[in-house]
Amino acid sequence: MELKILHLYPELMSLYGEYANVAVLRRHLEDLGVSVTVTGVTFENEPDFSGADMIYMGAGTERSQKAVLADMPRYADGLKAAVEDGALLLFTGNAMEVIGKSVTDAAGKVHPALGLADFSTVETDRRTPHDVIAVSTLWEERAVGFMNKCSRTSGVTSPLFSSLPMGFGNDVEGGGEGYVSGNVFATHITGPVLVKNPAFTALLIRRLFARRGWELPAELPAYPYEAAAYAVTLKELTARLGG
Amino acid sequence: MRMMLAIIVCKALRFVGKIVGKGSSLPGKYALKLCPDVLRRVRLPEHIVAVTGSNGKTSTVEMIAAILRAAGKNVVYNAEGSNQIEGVTTLILTNCSLSGKMRGDVLLLESDERYARHSFRYFHPTHFVITNLYRDQLTRNGHPEWVYDAILPAIHPDTTLVLNADDPLVSCFAIDHEKVKWFGLDQCAVSTCEHHGVYDDGARCPVCKGKMDYSCYHYNHIGHYRCTKCGFHRQKTDFTATEVDLEKGTLTIDGETTIELAFRSIYNVYNILAAWSVCSLCGVERETMAAVINNYILKNGRMVRFRVGAHKGVLLTSKHENSVAYDTNLRYIRETKAPCTVLVIVDAISRKYFTGETSWLWDIDFNQLSCDHVEKVMLYGKYCNDLAVRFQYTNLPPEKILVGEEISEAVSRLQEQGHEDVYVVTCFSDRDKLLRMVEVEG
Ligand SMILES: [Zn+2]
Repeated sequence: MELKILHLYPELMSLYGEYANVAVLRRHLEDLGVSVTVTGVTFENEPDFSGADMIYMGAGTERSQKAVLADMPRYADGLKAAVEDGALLLFTGNAMEVIGKSVTDAAGKVHPALGLADFSTVETDRRTPHDVIAVSTLWEERAVGFMNKCSRTSGVTSPLFSSLPMGFGNDVEGGGEGYVSGNVFATHITGPVLVKNPAFTALLIRRLFARRGWELPAELPAYPYEAAAYAVTLKELTARLGG
Repeated sequence: MRMMLAIIVCKALRFVGKIVGKGSSLPGKYALKLCPDVLRRVRLPEHIVAVTGSNGKTSTVEMIAAILRAAGKNVVYNAEGSNQIEGVTTLILTNCSLSGKMRGDVLLLESDERYARHSFRYFHPTHFVITNLYRDQLTRNGHPEWVYDAILPAIHPDTTLVLNADDPLVSCFAIDHEKVKWFGLDQCAVSTCEHHGVYDDGARCPVCKGKMDYSCYHYNHIGHYRCTKCGFHRQKTDFTATEVDLEKGTLTIDGETTIELAFRSIYNVYNILAAWSVCSLCGVERETMAAVINNYILKNGRMVRFRVGAHKGVLLTSKHENSVAYDTNLRYIRETKAPCTVLVIVDAISRKYFTGETSWLWDIDFNQLSCDHVEKVMLYGKYCNDLAVRFQYTNLPPEKILVGEEISEAVSRLQEQGHEDVYVVTCFSDRDKLLRMVEVEG
């Protein structure tokens, strides 16, 4: 069993420890007997998306994200073909904005984006750093995390999280957050969102196995520290919600 | 008239505040309400020195104050670290005569990166030292480029910038700015060809995001760089550490003055170099500076010695949410050679605000603890599970790791077992939880 993961701009788009998302996914897959190849995509190399099972990108600075937007057209067709072929795509932090139609920067300049989804983003000169509790549309447990954004995204009709008991949604406090459509997942939650949310990781692994027609073992490996870390954070954050 | 009133009110409130033990921002706040542009009206000293950057601000400011005082200068500075505009206002007005003339030869300010532009709206520093920009408290600060953009509008064209040439992002402040002096470290014994650390914020050019080429690294992304795409590169330095030997504990500046280091760390070298540069620009003689810096011991309590059971312990105060501060301490532990146990505590991430954000753990180079003399690593506090997960992605074998939530349990264990050295790495927000349970040495 072999899986191919493409990690876009691992140096530049890993501002809040996002490389850990790839590391945890890889470890969990390896624990299930999968041999995983992770290939970094940078400005200098020619990425090959054929046969990709998963494409990941994390958060970067606003300037880094613009450099990425400018670089993507050269391989956008290959990336889109892979997604159409069923490759899972997960973009987190301000990488989420890249799958929309455009990003307008704080100076008002419009930067065209991939156009995989029908939303657009406008940056502001204020940051919204905030702890997050999110209600998922795809799994039962509440998601936890942190966001650190300076933008509003509008036009999302199918958010990954239906509401946010804590934190800022795509364009309104508490409102829908992120984006999901088929095998395309995005959230503005920054950092190691998969490490923090074992249920999200498990969902992606089920999808990866299903796509390849592999069967998951009846008993899955346990990750007690990850489970406990999630429980503690959820408890701490929930306590701050108040009555 | 309004100015005089503001000065009187500020002095009075400060006087009362000191008696009742209140902080220094309130008097300034009221003074600013009475006379919003009071800082433009007062007459300030000849030299106004401001220091900002992610790490080492306080240490650098204290060293500058010590040097300037040794040179016979009357220095007024915000030792309490009240570095927002209200605190700065209090400091200035309480040192003013009623006619609005501030006493002293030098006004020295530790300036918060995020508030610099507010503080310097009505006056500007003659010298602005910018030490470094790293990932630091990202929950509040966003990221280094965001901090850069926040500092930029605080810079006045007449200000002389004193910049760390070895930090690419800091060097960008010189773009379109005339008056710049540079400090930096030549390639020497501490330099390496490869980058060390979990992440590399120097991998990409801050100007064009092209690939950077480093001829050497001093630590993290601090070193000698050139962009392969746009040519942006490290500048020639005006004040230079020409040799650093951390084993012998010596630093040579400009090839002529050798200084004995009380604290043998590369970070200390940069703090010294920053202080040296700006004091030199304020007219202090080389010999005077060297005499003060030689074996200069900073009394900031970052390192606390204690005993627990049969163990000798050292607490290395770090800052949560600041991977460079952690890396510094882990590097220190790695360079000690005696068998030891390391206790890492993450209980409250900040003492000033609540957050459950732990992504910064993934930026810390915990692999530095992967060495023979580190026999055990104890991970404690509320976020011990996050630490435990993080350590599963290091080279440390699981049998060396011990995990628990209660700090008291870690202390009892040390009281009952073993006699090896103990190093504790934690933040100001968590350190007293340990220190009140052990015997602190004076
Ligand atoms: Zn460049």
